[in-house]
Amino acid sequence: MRCWVWPWIPSCDGWPVSERTSWIHVRAAGMDLLLSPLDLREVVAAGPVSPLPGRPPGIQGVIVYQGEFLPVLAWEGLPGCEASNLPTVAMVVLRPRLGIPIERMIGTLDLPEEGWLEPDVADAANSWLGGIWVEGDRRYLMLDSDRLMALLQRFRTER
Amino acid sequence: MDQSFDDVWAECEDLFTQARSTLATLKTPQPAHVVQAAVNALFRTTHTLKGMAGMLGFPSFSRAAHRMEDIFDLMRQGRLRSTDSLVETLEAGVLALESGMAGLRRGRSEPEDYLSPIRRELGELEALARPTEGGTRDLTSMLDLPPEVIKSLSEYERTRVTALLMSGMPIHGVSVCLEFATFDERLRVLNEALSSLGELISTLPCDLPEDREGLGFLLVVACPALEAASIPLLPTELIQVAHLADPARVPESLRSETKEAPVEEPPTPEPATEAVPSSPGPAAPQAQEVEILRLPAHRVEALEARLMAVGQLRDAASQLLHHVADPSHERSLALMGQMEDGLLEVQKSLLQMRMVKVESLFSRIEPMVKSLSRDTGKPVKLTFLGNDLELERSLLGRLSDPFLHIVRNAVDHGLEPPSERAALGKNETGSLRISASQRGRNIRFDIRDDGRGFDLARIEARGIELGLLKSGQEHTPDRLHRLTLEPGFSTQMRASQLSGRGVGMDVVRAEIEALGGEIHLSSEARRGSLIRLSIPLSRAVVSCLKVRCAQQSFGIPLSSVVRVQAGKQLNRGGDQVQVVGRSMPLESLQACLGMPEPEGQKALVVLGQQGASSRSVEVALGVDEILGRGEVLLRSLPELAHAAGIMGGSPQEDGILWVLDPDAVLGLAMDSLMRRVARV
Repeated sequence: MRCWVWPWIPSCDGWPVSERTSWIHVRAAGMDLLLSPLDLREVVAAGPVSPLPGRPPGIQGVIVYQGEFLPVLAWEGLPGCEASNLPTVAMVVLRPRLGIPIERMIGTLDLPEEGWLEPDVADAANSWLGGIWVEGDRRYLMLDSDRLMALLQRFRTER
Repeated sequence: MDQSFDDVWAECEDLFTQARSTLATLKTPQPAHVVQAAVNALFRTTHTLKGMAGMLGFPSFSRAAHRMEDIFDLMRQGRLRSTDSLVETLEAGVLALESGMAGLRRGRSEPEDYLSPIRRELGELEALARPTEGGTRDLTSMLDLPPEVIKSLSEYERTRVTALLMSGMPIHGVSVCLEFATFDERLRVLNEALSSLGELISTLPCDLPEDREGLGFLLVVACPALEAASIPLLPTELIQVAHLADPARVPESLRSETKEAPVEEPPTPEPATEAVPSSPGPAAPQAQEVEILRLPAHRVEALEARLMAVGQLRDAASQLLHHVADPSHERSLALMGQMEDGLLEVQKSLLQMRMVKVESLFSRIEPMVKSLSRDTGKPVKLTFLGNDLELERSLLGRLSDPFLHIVRNAVDHGLEPPSERAALGKNETGSLRISASQRGRNIRFDIRDDGRGFDLARIEARGIELGLLKSGQEHTPDRLHRLTLEPGFSTQMRASQLSGRGVGMDVVRAEIEALGGEIHLSSEARRGSLIRLSIPLSRAVVSCLKVRCAQQSFGIPLSSVVRVQAGKQLNRGGDQVQVVGRSMPLESLQACLGMPEPEGQKALVVLGQQGASSRSVEVALGVDEILGRGEVLLRSLPELAHAAGIMGGSPQEDGILWVLDPDAVLGLAMDSLMRRVARV
């Protein structure tokens, strides 16, 4: 089984880790968000999301994707996030089958493995963030898909 | 696992399905040509499996399939007769391979010998059927040892094993672990001791458990009886004595032959089947080979897309029918109606292609129960109900392991031994009944045994000991039953060969929940246990009453709709309404689903509990508008989007129609009504 080593963790013996890692840079919920290409399934044009009655927190509804229902993230349901007034232009489909609405697709960023900040424990977004990269006055937030999925599962079961 | 192997896995599944089905034909008396055709088919199937396993890089599986292929080859050569016990062994072998293949698909590593549960039986079959190249009979495969160990026996040792077994002498194995410093001296002492008890045939090096240091040896000895206590050991030495071969299993004919000539030419094998008649009788059942059409994954996806398109087309046709109400278009409407019916049939046929009968799952369980019954000495009457129900093929593979765990537990722990049952006034034969039934979009499995039931007192004590329960508190039977689904929970002090290691039921729960299903346990002391699995189908055509609430469309499965009523009076949640002279509580659908409540609603739908013998639980559900009835293609919701009261949705022209889970909505309505009462 392949394992994924986060960029800031020193490589294990014999595990090759490149010096720089590429990230997909998007704008979502007013934030500069970095997504790992390994987490991405596809980016599709945004369409209407069908609201799901009695939906669990963090999920706004579903879209039909490849013949199946795909849950769509509600940013305002996540700790440390607010609803954005900007229109959704695209939907990033994560490998764990979750749609992430985004406002803008900016491009890719190659960032070094060192120099990442760990999210502050007191930061409400800590529960879904993987790390923070600061460049000048810009903060790039790395979305940790595993943490996000675990958080949404917890929301669902604790309801 | 690489997705590109999906087709190969699917083909393997097909091959196993074919193999099980073909073996099933051998269970009943068949004309010789049918048996021959079945055996030929099985030979080809195992041959293909062997090749595919090799291609996938599973050498151990390939070897095991090769061994099964050899048995089928012996059958088709007429060296082995198709008997009940042979078919049972072959079923167990196919099951072991199938289970092993499922494990490989999930990324498990290969076991050394997939066929170890039937090693002894296979060895006996091989020994009885196949003479060695030199024409001398070889019974070494009767030894309950891995094939590679048997291969390491010398020619002389093989001859001795055969001769001794034919003369009626049992063969034993002694595994010892000796220290590096003294092993040669100790081995000499042990050899002498065993030689004094019988004939020491061989001394072979063997592997040790990982936590042991030293050198391991297997001593093969023939003597009437052998006890560990009769072997001189030092305190630090580890020893294990095993019965390797029972001469009683050598047929009488061979044992009598040895009296005349201990090692002789083999007799010409009797043909197992009669010659194939040139023209089978018209009434003779044929071993049917079903042609299986395999589609690559992208074709299946295309088919799925067509399925969705047909569904939308049918919905459009249905809507058109409802909008065109002009009586002058009667003929056109009739034609449209026919088109709608036709499209529905196409939709159902496409869905059907994904389905397999539940009996396909049951056929995997039957041989295992037989084997467990034999191993535990507990006679079991196994009953299956609902064989003809259908479930999605994708579910079949994932349900096999949970079922095997549950059935194993039921036979090993649930059912009492015959003597204990007799003392309790029960029939000595235990009963295990597995039924399948469809409840709305769910398929429900009930696994019921008439054994001792769960020992709740013991579960409670163990729960407290593990810190899962607090001492001094009262714990409901439901809570205690569910405790057995916790990871690592086991009340067994000692793991048996079959179960009781505390792993299994948590895996069952995880698998069932991963499928979006539920597991429920109940039992009654000395009366038995019931394990209920409820699994949602990912797609189904459901007949629904379509309603509208809060600008959204909902479908209520018709099987739960008792009555529909619309009047002029506005009703609100919490009101009592009159339905055919009966007064019943009303709750709005919005309130049930946590949506803003309406001012009032004129339409209502009386919901009844599905499957209840009498409509004991009925609630009037307030809705904004009744749209009509129709059949919808239901898709299940992904786990992250599970919403209370909704069992799935169906994309329509005007958005998604949410299909309600009637039992859940009944519960939500009752909860909401109770809260209203509490607020008052």
